[in-house]
Amino acid sequence: MADYRVLGIIDRGYRGAVEVQFFDALYGILDFRQQLSGVALALRGAAVTVAIDEGDYKPVVEFGPIRIDTLPDYRGSVRQLIAEGVPVMVDEPDLRALGFTAADLIEGVQCLDTNELATRWDEYDGVWFV
Amino acid sequence: MTDTTIQPAGTSELPATRKPTKIVQRRWGLLLVVTAAPHSNDVITSAMRLAQAVLDEGKTVRMWACGYANMLTQKAHGDTKLINTRDPEGFYPSSAHIVREMLAANPGKFAWIACTACSAERGATDHIAEVRFRSPLRFVSTIEAADQTVFIGGA
Repeated sequence: MADYRVLGIIDRGYRGAVEVQFFDALYGILDFRQQLSGVALALRGAAVTVAIDEGDYKPVVEFGPIRIDTLPDYRGSVRQLIAEGVPVMVDEPDLRALGFTAADLIEGVQCLDTNELATRWDEYDGVWFV
Repeated sequence: MTDTTIQPAGTSELPATRKPTKIVQRRWGLLLVVTAAPHSNDVITSAMRLAQAVLDEGKTVRMWACGYANMLTQKAHGDTKLINTRDPEGFYPSSAHIVREMLAANPGKFAWIACTACSAERGATDHIAEVRFRSPLRFVSTIEAADQTVFIGGA
């Protein structure tokens, strides 16, 4: 494992479903963990919605008789990241602009002001715009 | 082997009852032109859901894949996606597999066209056999063969 700490920043929320399935941006964060000594995730823009706590969405789509139940499950991935000790942060103004508050977030997700988020960059060896 | 006599133009003698065949282009209910790239946003999923919704109404649908949408049906995908390292035993169908299944589920009612130019430009010419190549020179005639066309951009 390299002594290299990364802050992954995701601005764009949805990048495909049927063709993507597990291979979404959050999978990248989860999968790269083994190579890094530390990783954290900052969600901004529309991507803040992946950290909203809700249980209605089912990762399923049906095309006639063809059922695909392996669509991306972003909120499930955020829960997994939290469970595995990865810090997940959300930009507060972007969250508010979409009509949400910190109370709507998955438990464990940090809600930070834009400037406060930016001051965290120095804590990492790399800031990746994922 | 059958002997064939080729006559000079204008000298053929057809029986009086035989008239020149008029080629009638088949009509389709909906033509969906998709230029958005996979893995960029939810356009591909939305287009496929729209196609299915129209098929469910008993209408016919033709998909015209433009730009990077031609990556969806490449043979190189095989039937499954790459292994999910976090779920190695899981089954994750490839986009090519899903398109093939959709075509098989709707024989004669759903068709998938690959744009020859866009495929060649991207080095993505090895489509699954179920996909039909069509030149962009036939783009407008393809639109004219559909009752409705929805052009979904995003390339």
